[in-house]
Amino acid sequence: MRSLTLHLKLLIMILVLLGAGITGYQIFVLGIPVSEDETDDLWNIDAKVEFVPTPKTPVKVQMYVPPLTSDYVSLNESFISNNYGVSVNRIDSNRKVTWSSRRASGNQTLYYRLVLTKRYSNEKPKYKGAMFRDSLVLEGPEKIAAEALLAPIRQHSADVETFISETIRRVNNLNDDNVKLLLAGDPSPQHKASVVDLLLSIAHVPMERAHTLRLVADQPQSPELWLRSFNGNKWLYFNPDTGEQGLPSDRLLWWTGDDPLVTLEGGKKVTVTFSLNNSEMNAIRLAKLTDESTDADFLEYSLYSLPLQTQQTFMVMVMIPIGVLVILILRNLIGLQTLGTFTPVLIALAFRETQLGYGIVLFTLITALGLSLRSYLEHLKLQMLPRLSVVLTFVVVLIAAISLLSHKLGLERGLSVALFPMVILTMTIERLSISWEERGGAHAMKVAAGTLLAASLAHLLMTVPQLVYFVFTFPAVLFILVAFMLAMGRYRGYRLTELVRFKAFVKDREADA
Amino acid sequence: MLGLIKTWKALRARGIMGINRRNADYVLKYNDRRLYPIVDDKIITKERAIAAGIQVPELYGIISTEKEIERLDQIVGDRPDFVIKPAQGAGGDGILVIGDRFEDRFRTVSGKIISRSEIEYQISSILTGLYSLGGHRDRALIEYRVVPDPIFKSISYEGVPDIRIIVLMGYPVMAMVRLPTRQSNGKANLHQGAIGVGVDLATGVTLRGTWLNSIIHKHPDTTNDVQGVQLPYWDGFMELAAGCHELCGLGYIGVDMVLDQNQGPLILELNARPGLNIQIANDCGLAHRTEAVEAHVQALKADGRSETPAERARFAQATFGHVRP
Repeated sequence: MRSLTLHLKLLIMILVLLGAGITGYQIFVLGIPVSEDETDDLWNIDAKVEFVPTPKTPVKVQMYVPPLTSDYVSLNESFISNNYGVSVNRIDSNRKVTWSSRRASGNQTLYYRLVLTKRYSNEKPKYKGAMFRDSLVLEGPEKIAAEALLAPIRQHSADVETFISETIRRVNNLNDDNVKLLLAGDPSPQHKASVVDLLLSIAHVPMERAHTLRLVADQPQSPELWLRSFNGNKWLYFNPDTGEQGLPSDRLLWWTGDDPLVTLEGGKKVTVTFSLNNSEMNAIRLAKLTDESTDADFLEYSLYSLPLQTQQTFMVMVMIPIGVLVILILRNLIGLQTLGTFTPVLIALAFRETQLGYGIVLFTLITALGLSLRSYLEHLKLQMLPRLSVVLTFVVVLIAAISLLSHKLGLERGLSVALFPMVILTMTIERLSISWEERGGAHAMKVAAGTLLAASLAHLLMTVPQLVYFVFTFPAVLFILVAFMLAMGRYRGYRLTELVRFKAFVKDREADA
Repeated sequence: MLGLIKTWKALRARGIMGINRRNADYVLKYNDRRLYPIVDDKIITKERAIAAGIQVPELYGIISTEKEIERLDQIVGDRPDFVIKPAQGAGGDGILVIGDRFEDRFRTVSGKIISRSEIEYQISSILTGLYSLGGHRDRALIEYRVVPDPIFKSISYEGVPDIRIIVLMGYPVMAMVRLPTRQSNGKANLHQGAIGVGVDLATGVTLRGTWLNSIIHKHPDTTNDVQGVQLPYWDGFMELAAGCHELCGLGYIGVDMVLDQNQGPLILELNARPGLNIQIANDCGLAHRTEAVEAHVQALKADGRSETPAERARFAQATFGHVRP
């Protein structure tokens, strides 16, 4: 378009880029969910520790709990135990809870409960681990068997990763005589893991046992053994049965090392049972929760960091530009006639408090009555200010009467008319009566209908929950809105109603032809 | 949808100007907002016109405070007829036209007898801003009552027909006569039901008419043909309109003029946002003509020349006149 100057074009482009950029950053980098309906899994893990204490001796239960340095973040953690002292300490990369009691009698049950979710930010914590270790000492036939096994492994592997995979695969081949010898008739996973450990130690490859829990709801769970090795910048996980590399994403690392999950002093028959369930939670609420419980503060500079009440106000306020946009389109593109420019937006806001259907009825009723009063006052030849005051007072009385009446009739809706719509009603009545006088009744009716239509449309759009959420969460889209409005400022094409208005020209042309 | 696109293209081809185009390309571009008071206040318009030597209805007096209402007799003197208008009124509201005296009372042009106190109340209403845009305090002006030329007798109903010429940078681009009807209560306002009749810029002969967005050929009240009427003093009207550009400084205006029985063409008021129905009355789009004027002005500017109102009127008559009726 000729008149769209470079300046304006640049401004529009900058605004669009800014809006799209910030929103894109929020969505793709910060990972803020696009829709409020988007939910994330929230895991609730209960570990139940049961044991029988030895009478008259102090009891000390130690259990590993997840270190939570990986992909999951804890929202809530609790240790439920009566008469037990609880302490949590970190040992290397593990965390351990210690319950202790001077004495206990009868069957004891302790609970550990953890609520966690996937970590939101993409930042990975720094890992560290050993890359070299000394060989375990081996003698006699075992040494020969191990070397016999290692020779083909070396041949079939290219690096540490494939070396470990190959080792695990070989150890799982129970028909191999060398493997049989090393396993010594105990093919349990634990023992297999120690054989793998042994073989790897000869090659100076460090290996660690990792005990994980699978995040599956409503199935009894027990810790699952994985082997892991550090390759310099991250841990490689291996399935001890198949040698496959890579930890599935639903595994939660509980503890590492050779020690058992739980150790008990002063008791016996200790068992740990896990139960898991997951609930879905509104993603943005979850994000807020993780925000509180971690240092990740990606919501720090969003509207969510405001106090709750202010947030609610802003949820209405950020939608006003959307309403204005509706009016802009209706007026400049469609050519709908409305009362004033922004009165429809104000009425749309008033509809928030009255509900749409009821609001339309109420507005029509009060405006009609107000108009008749206004036309009566016209005969009295009053000056403008006193006249407006009378109309306003009348509107108040009218609303009070309607509220009272509907209350008596048992319709509580009547009471929902708040302070705000009152002034809007008065202004509407005044402006409508002026346009009635100047342009006649038919025109006033047309304008009133147009205003009501525009207000309803604006109200409907302004209350779409998904849209409210989106604009509130990504306020930068308002920049794009402004860009559109700027472009509209130079729109020179016809309005839809003008196509009808000037139809006479087209008809004429056809008649001529 | 397809039909709409077709209509869109047809209108575009004929150069029909829409509101958005008018606002963006003409009103916003050529009309400096600071100059709006000149056209919004009829008193300022009149003063400017008198200073420029342009003919306007004679101003008898201005009343700007309640106290001054007493001076009404002094202002009117013993003239039998006069008009009271709000200076910033819109759409012809608040105008009181006194046609005669009746004993101690006054008679309006529509035959209603009103008392002196009623006139005073009307002036008081004007002063409080009852008729002004936005309800600001206003002034009342008392002026000469225009007596329409008998030429319009057959094609108008009561009231005073006026002539609207759209002027772009001093060049008249399109003209129409606005004829009051019974429906418009004698007001020459198209929104209220007056008829707009296109006028050939070269000759001053009327073309067909438009009434509420549709095309008509006869006046609904007198049933006389509105087409083919020769307006007298046409060249005078054209030059008067062309001269209004210097008067107010606005580049895109609608000039409203009347033809008085005794005094000939007079400027009534100027409008900074002239309506678009004139296009229907002339069966012609504004855009082609305004573009031609813009090109012409550009060419003159390149030559470092400028034209007098008379030259501009002649350019417009030669370029846009002699249309097929």
